[in-house]
Amino acid sequence: MFYNLKKVIWTTMIAIIVFGLIILYSASSQSTRVNHQVFYNQLLFSGLGLLAIFFLSRVDYRKYYDLAYVFYGINIFLLIGIFLFGYYALGAKRWIEFFGFNFQPSEFMKFSLILALARYFADHKPRVSAHRSWARPAFFPEFGIPLLMTLVPTLLIFKQPDLGTALLILGIFFVVVFVAGASVKYLASFLGICVLATPVLWHMMKSYQKDRLMVFLNPNIDPLGAGYTIIQSKIAIGSGQFFGKGWLAGTQNQLNFLPERHTDFIFSVIGEEWGFMGGMALLACFCLLIFASLRVVEQAKDTFGYLAGVGFVTIFALQVVINIGMVLGLCPIVGITLPLISYGRSSFLVFVFMFGFLINVGKKNKLL
Amino acid sequence: MRLKILKIIIICCFVILVLGLGHLQIVRGSFYESLGIHNCIRVVPVEPNRGRIFDRNGIVLADTQVSFDVMVVPQEIKDQEKIFSFLSKTLGVEKKKLLGLYQKRKLASFAPVTIAEDIARDQAIVLEENKFRYSGLLVEVRSKRRYPWGEIGAHVLGYVGRVSPERAEQFKNYGYTIEGMTGYSGLEEYYDSFLRGKEGGVQIEVNNRGQQVRLLGMKVAAPGQDITTTLDLRIQQVAQNLLAGERGVVVVMNLDSGEILGMVSAPSFDPNAFLSSASSKQRASYFTNVDAVLLNRAIRGQYPPGSVFKIPIAIAALHTKKLTPRTSFLCNGFYTLGNRVFRCSHAHGVQDFTQAIAHSCNVYFFHTGLILGPKIIEEYARLFGLGALTNIDLPYEEKGNIPRSDLFAKRRWSKGDTLNFSIGQGDLLVTPIQLLKMMAVVARDGKDILPSVIQFIGPSPVRREATLRTLDIPKMYFDKVKVGMRGAVADEAGTARVLLRDDVVVFGKTGTAQSSGNKPHHAWFVGFCPQAKTRIVFCVFLENGGSSYNACRVAADLLKEMKLQDIL
Repeated sequence: MFYNLKKVIWTTMIAIIVFGLIILYSASSQSTRVNHQVFYNQLLFSGLGLLAIFFLSRVDYRKYYDLAYVFYGINIFLLIGIFLFGYYALGAKRWIEFFGFNFQPSEFMKFSLILALARYFADHKPRVSAHRSWARPAFFPEFGIPLLMTLVPTLLIFKQPDLGTALLILGIFFVVVFVAGASVKYLASFLGICVLATPVLWHMMKSYQKDRLMVFLNPNIDPLGAGYTIIQSKIAIGSGQFFGKGWLAGTQNQLNFLPERHTDFIFSVIGEEWGFMGGMALLACFCLLIFASLRVVEQAKDTFGYLAGVGFVTIFALQVVINIGMVLGLCPIVGITLPLISYGRSSFLVFVFMFGFLINVGKKNKLL
Repeated sequence: MRLKILKIIIICCFVILVLGLGHLQIVRGSFYESLGIHNCIRVVPVEPNRGRIFDRNGIVLADTQVSFDVMVVPQEIKDQEKIFSFLSKTLGVEKKKLLGLYQKRKLASFAPVTIAEDIARDQAIVLEENKFRYSGLLVEVRSKRRYPWGEIGAHVLGYVGRVSPERAEQFKNYGYTIEGMTGYSGLEEYYDSFLRGKEGGVQIEVNNRGQQVRLLGMKVAAPGQDITTTLDLRIQQVAQNLLAGERGVVVVMNLDSGEILGMVSAPSFDPNAFLSSASSKQRASYFTNVDAVLLNRAIRGQYPPGSVFKIPIAIAALHTKKLTPRTSFLCNGFYTLGNRVFRCSHAHGVQDFTQAIAHSCNVYFFHTGLILGPKIIEEYARLFGLGALTNIDLPYEEKGNIPRSDLFAKRRWSKGDTLNFSIGQGDLLVTPIQLLKMMAVVARDGKDILPSVIQFIGPSPVRREATLRTLDIPKMYFDKVKVGMRGAVADEAGTARVLLRDDVVVFGKTGTAQSSGNKPHHAWFVGFCPQAKTRIVFCVFLENGGSSYNACRVAADLLKEMKLQDIL
C-alpha cells in the first residue's frame, strides 16, 4: 500500500501533464491567437520538469529548512526589485528578467513563504495544542510574526497588481497557521478584520479588478468587454455536454472565441472538447494526487516537513479549485493558473520544486 | 485533527466543482450548445440580381453588372506601406491619394474601408491573385445597377439605393432589410417587388473575428424578373434632345392601348450617380438644385392648362346644348367685365365654334364660360379626368386641382373668376399626363384610357386592371371639336400652324398659361395623330417656355424625327 503511494503520485502527475499537453496542442493548433510554439515549449518544459522532480526528490528536504529564510529574503528582495526593474505585461508589473529568463517572483513566493512559515512553526511550536486547558495563547509568537511574514509579500504582490496570487498567499497563511495549531480565536478575528477591510480593499483595487468582480456577479453587464471571457468560457464548457465535441473539434476553441485558453482558461478547452467525462477524469486525477500527497505528508518525520508539505498540497488544491471554479463561473476571475496544465514556466517550475520536496519527504519516512 | 478538517474542506470544494461542471454541461448543456452554434454560425445574405428593364424593342435601359471594389481592413493590415504601394501600382493611382482616402474613410479598426470602386476586371484579378501576400486586402464582388443611357428616361426608370430605415420597417414582412437594395421613384420603385427577386444566403462558420472558416450551406438567390416597358428608346432620345436646356415635358402615348411610348421630364438626372460614393457631390446637387431635377414633371408637375382647357369647355357647351356649332361671337381683342379688361391674343373678328378652337379665341370662351357657369365647367373637367389621378403605373402621381363647386356658392367666386376659369387659368392646376389623357379621351370619342408604362413582367404580358368607361356624349360633338383642333394646325391663322405636314395629320390644341410671379408663360401643345401608322397622342409642355408657339415647334420637331425614324 505504502509502496504504491509512490506509483500513484508519479502516475497521476504524469497523466495530468500528458493530458495537459494534449489539450495545449489543441488550443494552439490554429496558431492564430495562440502560437504553435507554445505547445513545443511546454513539451520541452514538462520533460525537463519531470527530470528535475526526479533529481530534486533525491535532495534531502531538511536542506530547505536551513535555506528557508534565505529563500524568503531573496524572494522579498525580488518582489521589491520588480518595482525597480520589472516590466509591464497585460497591464501589470509582474515579470522580471533574470539571465535572459522572464519569470514571476510572485509565483516563487508561494514556495518560499510556505518554507519560511514551516520553519518558523518548527522552531516555535504553539503551546495551545499541548496545554490547551490553562495556557493563554501568546499572540506574537504564534500568530503575529507569521502574519507579518505573510503580509509583507501579500501587499507587494497586491501592488503589482496581482489580486489572485495575493489572495492565494493569504490562503496559505490561514491553512499553515491553522494546521500548525495556532489559536482559532486569532484566525477567526483576523478573518473578521479581513471582511471588514473589504471596502478599503475595494477602494484600492484597479478598475479592471473591480470590473472583474462586478462581472462575476453578472457577466452580462459587459458581454463584449470584461464579461466576454467568462461568457465564452461558459459557452465552451456547457456546449461540450457529456461526451464533448472531440479533440481538435471544439468550435469555441478552434474558432478563436476563447481568450487566454492556453493559460488561465485552459480548462474550458477541456470542457468543450472532452465534455463532462474529460472534466471528471481530470478532477479525479487531481483529487488522487492531492490525497496521495497528503497521505505522505501526514507521516512526515518532523514538523517542518509536515507543515511545508501541507502548505504545498494546499496551494496545489487551492489553485485547482479556484482556477476551475472561475472558469465555470463559480468564483471571480483572478489570474490563477491550473497546476501542471496551464502554459507558463514560472508556475510550472514552482510545482516541480514542490513535488520534488514532497517525494523526498515520503522517502525520508520510508513511505516512498 | 486539524488536517482532517482541511481534507474535508478540500473534498467539499471538489464536490462543488463536480456539481458546477455537471450543471453547466449536463443540465444546461443544450442551452449552451445552441449559444455556441449561434456564436460561430452566421447567415450572410446574398443579394439577388435585380431584374433588367427593357424598352419596347428589347434594348436594355437598366441592368446589373458585376463590379469589383477594393477594400482594406485596418486591423488586419500588417505593412501599410507595402500594401498601398502595391495598390497604387496596380490601380495606377497615386499612393498619397489612396492613403488620403483611407484616412478619410476609416471608421473603426474592424470595418473595411473602400479604397476604389468599380475597378477594371483585370485589375481585380491581379489584386485577387496577390491577396494572400497583403494581409488586410479585400476585393469585393458586388452586383451593381447600371443605366447605360444615363439621363435619358431617368424619371421613368427611377434609381436604386439601400433600403431606408422607414421602408425596411414598413416592408419587413416582405423581406426588406436595411442591407438590401430597393428602387426609388419611377419603375424601380413601382415594380420593386418584381425586380428585386428573392434574397439568398450562405450559412458559414466564422471565427471570433467573423471571418469565414467553412461553408455550411447555401440558398441560391432568386433573380428578379425582367420587365419590358412600353417606352421606345428612340423617342426618349429625340425628346431628351429637344428639351435640352429647358424645363419641360414630352409625353407620347399610343392612342389605342394607352402605352406610354415616350416620357421625358427635363432637366433630368443620371441614376448612376446614386450608385457610387464617388458621385456623392453630384447626388447632393440633385436634391438641392433649384430646377428640381428629380421631379418627374410629367406626373408630378402641376400647372395651369391655359387654353388647352377650352376643349372640355367646348364639349360641355355642345353637350349641354348651351351652344350649337353655329353659335358665333364677335372678338374685338378684349372683353370688359365691369371696369376690368380681359384680353384676347388679338381681335379675331366674328368666330364660330370651330374657328374659336382653331384660333384659341379667349373672347369666345369668355362668353361660353359665362353661359355655362363654373359648376358645369368643373363637372366636365372632372369628367375628362382632370384633377384626378390617371393611375399610370408610376409612383407619386399628383392630382392637380380643380376649383370645387362649394367654392362657387360663396361670395369669393366672382364672374371674373369664371372668365379666368374658362381659359384655364386661376386656381386650376393639372399635370401634363392628365391633359394628355384628356386629349386621348377626346380623340377616342369619349372612351377612357389607362396610361401604362409596362408591357411584360418576365415573359407574361401585364394586364392592368381597369374598367374603362365611355362618356355618354354623342360622337358628333367630339367630331365638331376635332374639326376645330384640326383647324389649329391646318388653318391659315391656326395657332399650331408649324405642325402642318403633308405626311402626318395632326390634331391639337395650344395653350399659353400665365405662371405665378413675373416669369414667362408656360407653353403647351397637346395633340394626336389619328391616322398615323402608330396612332399617338402627345403632350409638349415648356415650363416658363413663353408662347405656345415654342411648344408647337418642339412638337413639330418631335413628329419630324418620329417620321424620319419610321415610328409614325
